[in-house]
Amino acid sequence: MVPLENYLALSAVMFSLGVYGVLARRNAVLILMSVELMLNAVNLNFVAFAAYLDPGQIVGAIFAVFIITVAAAEVGLALAIVIRLFRNRATANVDEAATMKW
Amino acid sequence: MATEVIWWVFAILITILSAGVVFSRSVIHSAIFLIGSLAGVGVMFVLMTVEFLALTQFLIYGGAVTVLVLLALMLTRADPSGRAEKVNGPQAPFALLAGGAIATVLLVAGLSTEWVGNTEAPTNIAIETISQRLFEDYGLPFILASVLLLVALIGAIIVARQEEGE
Repeated sequence: MVPLENYLALSAVMFSLGVYGVLARRNAVLILMSVELMLNAVNLNFVAFAAYLDPGQIVGAIFAVFIITVAAAEVGLALAIVIRLFRNRATANVDEAATMKW
Repeated sequence: MATEVIWWVFAILITILSAGVVFSRSVIHSAIFLIGSLAGVGVMFVLMTVEFLALTQFLIYGGAVTVLVLLALMLTRADPSGRAEKVNGPQAPFALLAGGAIATVLLVAGLSTEWVGNTEAPTNIAIETISQRLFEDYGLPFILASVLLLVALIGAIIVARQEEGE
């Protein structure tokens, strides 16, 4: 069987790619997609810990269920905001949405 | 033995597809890579024998979230001619540095720690166990999550709707 460390390494790689995407991208939808990558890496970690180290309590698996719920709500709201931004400014570029920047 | 082979195939696939999401020059290609990457995570849940989360992953991420993302991409195309726009900011090299640093820290921390418990093989988490924990011990958070989804739904409609005289 595959040991726990393999899942931890895969999740670390996925999370770092997500961090790079969030910091480097300019399109708001692409940033959201990178956030989804990071959330999935975290989910992978939680479920791996639940299945390997905590099969009695499975707190990690329950946590993953709530993360998926909150991520779905987040995507729905954030995409509504992006569509609104596009309608007002004709751009989805986060660098140009700087009205409230100090 | 077969499990290891499948694991490595899908691990490499997930890594390549995730890299495609963040390095691709076309936004539509990024979204399609994202679908594959999220489905790969679902396969990982199957390999961990956590069937319920695998099903949830395929349904919510493979279906709902990626369709929503693709729809938003189509609605916010600034340049309908399809000319490649600049997708990365000037900060991209520093972002690569930050991502590499976080990868190093996470890999060293995850691989050098002595985990307490059985790290060799996963234990099957049955759907019955998850439902029991979810509805008996975590009933209140479950209800709060449903309220959160409702609020997010109403909020998304209010934010995105076309108002009179716009």
